[in-house]
Amino acid sequence: MRHAALATGAAVVVGWPWAAPPYFVFLASLIAINAIVAIGLNLLSGYTNQLSFGHAGFLAIGAYAAAILTIRAPALPVPASLLLAGLATAAVGLALGVPCLRLEGLYLAMATLAFGFVVVEAILNLEWLTRGNDGLHVPAARLGPWAFATDTARYYLVVAVAALLIVAAVNISRTRTGRALLAVRESEIAAQASGVNLAAYRTLAFVVSAFYTGVAGGLFALVVGFLSPDSFDVFLSVDFVAMIIVGGLGSILGSVVGAAVITALNDSLAGFQNYRPLIFGAILVTSMLFMPGGIASALRKIPSIRRLR
Amino acid sequence: MGEGDSMSPTALVHVVVSGLATGSIYALMAISLVIIYNATRTLNFAQGEMLMVSTFIGWTALQVLDAPLVVALLVAVVAAALLGFILERVVIRHAISATHFDVLIITLGLSLMLRSAAGVIWTHDEFPFPSFFSNRPLVVGPIRVAPVSLGIIGASLALMLALAALFRWTRLGRAMRAVAQNQRAARLMGISVERVYSSSWVIASVVGAVAGVLIAPVIFLSSKMGLVAINGFTAAVLGGFGSMPGAVENLAPLYLPASIKHSVPFLVMISILIVRPGGVLGRVARRKV
Repeated sequence: MRHAALATGAAVVVGWPWAAPPYFVFLASLIAINAIVAIGLNLLSGYTNQLSFGHAGFLAIGAYAAAILTIRAPALPVPASLLLAGLATAAVGLALGVPCLRLEGLYLAMATLAFGFVVVEAILNLEWLTRGNDGLHVPAARLGPWAFATDTARYYLVVAVAALLIVAAVNISRTRTGRALLAVRESEIAAQASGVNLAAYRTLAFVVSAFYTGVAGGLFALVVGFLSPDSFDVFLSVDFVAMIIVGGLGSILGSVVGAAVITALNDSLAGFQNYRPLIFGAILVTSMLFMPGGIASALRKIPSIRRLR
Repeated sequence: MGEGDSMSPTALVHVVVSGLATGSIYALMAISLVIIYNATRTLNFAQGEMLMVSTFIGWTALQVLDAPLVVALLVAVVAAALLGFILERVVIRHAISATHFDVLIITLGLSLMLRSAAGVIWTHDEFPFPSFFSNRPLVVGPIRVAPVSLGIIGASLALMLALAALFRWTRLGRAMRAVAQNQRAARLMGISVERVYSSSWVIASVVGAVAGVLIAPVIFLSSKMGLVAINGFTAAVLGGFGSMPGAVENLAPLYLPASIKHSVPFLVMISILIVRPGGVLGRVARRKV
């Protein structure tokens, strides 16, 4: 059953560009990108109970890093620029994480909120690098002789990276590190008592989370093709939080589902900008009150999907 | 601004006074955040939006009834009390056993809903708001001071003193302090924790409404004015959550180049958090297993 579900899912994902109109291929790429961010955020929130309202800032750093690399070094193959974008973001995550993770959840939420604002202001002010408010056009990325110039090509690039990162996230829980993180999730105090270095693992979760978001940011730059600081406002961070809340904290499948739900909802509400936050707020409140485990815990009751989480 | 050297002493007085006025508003925001935090151990992300909505309701009364400003203030305060009561009773009460994390998300959702609803009802435009105080500067010798600033400072101080009296000398205030210290012990002493929750939300919301009516003439009335609460967060962090006098500490004026102005409160907040996680005057709580 599990293999059947996986195979069906994979077939749908691979066949999508032939079945759907181009706009929906683009939308699917966005969903995959957001899924990567949601998984990254969930590694932080789901495992270490830390909330971040600054992931739009990490996304922006990854996006601008990849865009600037693509512009300044057009010969660089895509995997390298994405990896560099992820590493740059992870480095910023480390610099922010080391001091901030001494803070309890509430204060960390505020410090990350602050971080998001600071990143946007930095982009606005570093005009020689980011072109500030004018925005940055991102040329098509290259891999050897091929250029990712169509929606379909970019879609496959995004899906391949997302699949790789999903597999990695699933397997994190099987390593020594993953077990330590699980212990932290269940009880910080018990984990500490068993010799888990809480600060180190929290920092690690933060850095990995930043790395995922940075890679997603690189993909975002390539898929959207145009970057400006106002695409990375605090509401985007709130969207990411909404994804993991709706999808389910601590669940990888939930992150993907939450990303799909929120991205599709965002897109279908594009014509009702005034009501969008109203609906989003209502979704956050009701899912927290009535469905604290998110969609993932609702899905878990279906046996064939149970093991996928 | 930012060229501190070239500033004349009289201009400096002006800047300091208006800075103090803004600071008192942030202090009021910080106080209302701390009141809720003390009772329920959660940060109310919707505080700024509650302030905004009650100020808008007061403004509507002003427009519809053509009433004096005092009536607008009263309407705003009553509306805020109702809003705080309803939100607590209908939404927050149901999450009484949830973690901070969950309640934080809920108040975040509420803030999105309130802001969007305000935009739908009153549009996202900016509206001028009448002030209790005249615009003409008060001249004392060479020094010119805006009466608005003095009025804001005076009113905020009066409200803070009233709150301090409430916490110190009334039954409700004692009950709120007891719940803040130890919820279970307070319950065992016969204090209704639910009533404390309710009153905390109502009081915090009312303080917010007063702050809103005071600041609206300065920053204009708009659906975005809830953002002043972010500076309230900084003030609360600076003072340490749970430390009442500490929340009043952040009266320092900030005058810096406009391009980095919005980052400054955050940078201050991050550095304070790093150096003194418990706030300048607060104490770091020890956790029990």
